[in-house]
Amino acid sequence: MSEKPKRFKLEPKQLRIYGIGGAIVGIYLAHFLNAATGTNIFSFIGSLAAIGGVLWGANAIRRICSYGLGTGVPAMGMLALGMATVASLFGLNIAEQFGVGILGPIIALAYSLLFGYIVGILCNKVMHFNIPIMEEGMFDISGAGTLAILGWSMTLSGTLSYNTIVKDVYSTGFLAIIFILGGMAIFHPFNANLGPDEKQDRTLVDGIMVAGLAMIALGICSLATLGLSAALVTIVVGFAVWYYNYIWYFRLAKEDAAAVVGTGLLPPSVQ
Amino acid sequence: MITFDALTIVYMLEIVVGSLLVSVGVHFVPVGGAPAAMAQATGIGTGTVTLAAGSGLTGLLACGLMMSVTDNIWPILASGAIGSMIMMDATMLTGDFIYSYAVGCPYASAKVNYDPITGFSQPPYVAPGTVGQGIPTVCFVTGTIGALLGGVGGAMIYFPCNMISHNPAQAAVFTIGIFFVHSVIPSWNIQGTIEGFHDPKFKKWPFAYKASLIAGILLAIMTVLIQPLGGA
Repeated sequence: MSEKPKRFKLEPKQLRIYGIGGAIVGIYLAHFLNAATGTNIFSFIGSLAAIGGVLWGANAIRRICSYGLGTGVPAMGMLALGMATVASLFGLNIAEQFGVGILGPIIALAYSLLFGYIVGILCNKVMHFNIPIMEEGMFDISGAGTLAILGWSMTLSGTLSYNTIVKDVYSTGFLAIIFILGGMAIFHPFNANLGPDEKQDRTLVDGIMVAGLAMIALGICSLATLGLSAALVTIVVGFAVWYYNYIWYFRLAKEDAAAVVGTGLLPPSVQ
Repeated sequence: MITFDALTIVYMLEIVVGSLLVSVGVHFVPVGGAPAAMAQATGIGTGTVTLAAGSGLTGLLACGLMMSVTDNIWPILASGAIGSMIMMDATMLTGDFIYSYAVGCPYASAKVNYDPITGFSQPPYVAPGTVGQGIPTVCFVTGTIGALLGGVGGAMIYFPCNMISHNPAQAAVFTIGIFFVHSVIPSWNIQGTIEGFHDPKFKKWPFAYKASLIAGILLAIMTVLIQPLGGA
C-alpha cells in the first residue's frame, strides 16, 4: 500500500476519442466474437466497453458541474441516462428496420449526440444558462450514457439483435438496474470527489471502480439471461476491475489527502 | 418498415403534451433540496429528480395497472394522476409530521408575507437566518397540483409508448427516460429549489416550457419511430 500510485491527466478531446473508440470497438468485438464462436462467454467485453463511455461521461460531468447548476450532480447523470435509454433503443430499432442491424450502435450514438447538443443549446439559449461548455458537455454525457447502456445491454444479451435486447434487457426489467448503476458510474465519481482538491485521475479511477461494481451486478443478472458460464466470466472480470481500481483509488486518495494543507476558508491565525 | 399515419401523429402529440405537463408540473412542486432537509428552507427536503422519480414511478405503476385492464385513455390518465398525487401528498404529510414533532418548527414561507390560501401572516414564524421551514398550506396545495400535472403527463407519455410497443416493460422504461429529461430541464430552470406558484421563480416557467417543447418533439419522434419487430 505504500508505493506511489500512477497519475494521469487527459484532455477532454482525448477522453472523447478514447471513450467513443474504446466503447464502439468493444461492443462490436463482443458481438463478433460471440457470433464467430457460437457462445456467449465474450459478453463481458460489452461491460469493459461501457467503461469507455463511463470515463467519457464522468469527465464531462466534472467539467459541467464545476460551474454549479443549482441542482445536484445526480440530476445530470439521470438526464444523461434518460436521453440514452430512448436513443439506444431507437438506434438499434431503426438499424434493424432498414436491414442494417449491425449499424445500430452507430445510429444510436449519432442520434444521442445530436439530441444532447440540442438540449445544451436549449439550456444556454432558451433558459439563459450562459455556461460556455454546456453544449459540449451535454453532447458528451448523452453519447457517453448511450455507449454505457449499449455496452451493458450487450453483457446481458450477448448480441446486438434488437429483439434479443428487448427480450433480455427491457422486458426483464434489468434496464432499471443498468439505469441506476450506469447513472451511478457516471455521476457518482464527481459527486464523491468534488471539492477544492478534486483531481481528474482520482475522479476517473472512482468511475472505473463503480463500473466494476456495476459489472458484478450485471453478471449476477446475466445468470438469468445467458447462463452460468458467461455470468461467471463477467462476475470474475468485474471483480478484478473493481479490486484493481479500488486499490488504485485508495492510494490516490491517500496521496491527495496528505497534500491538503488548507482549504482557504479560514484566515491563518496570527498570534 | 417505418409506418407514419394519423395515429402516429396523435401519439407524438400525446408524448409532447405529456412532456409539457411534466415540465410545468415540476414548477408547482415545493422542492426544498438539502436546506429543506435541515429545516432551513420551505419545501420537501430532497431534490427535484428524486421527487420526480418517486411521484412519477408511483403514477406509472397506477396507470400501468389501469392499462392492463383497459385501453381507454381517460381512466389511465386519472389513475396516473391519482397515484402520483397520493405519493406526493403522503410525502408532504409525513415530512410535515417530522418537521412538527421531531424538528419542532412552525411551517412558514419566507417568499410571501401572507399565505395566499389561508391568509395567515408568515414573517413572525420564519426563524432568523432561514428562508422558512416545513410545508405550509400553500405549498401543500401547490405540491398536489404539481403531482396532478406530473401524473397526467407521465400517463400521457406511457399510453402511446405502450400502444406502440405493446410491451409494458419497454414502455415503462421509455416513460421514465422521457420523464427524467423533462424533470431535469425545469429543475435547472428553477435552480434546484422552488416553493410553488407563489414563488417569484415560478414566473420563469415559459423558459422551461419552450426548452421542453423542443426536447419533447425530438424525443417523441424517436419514440414513435420505434416499431415492434417480429418476435419482440
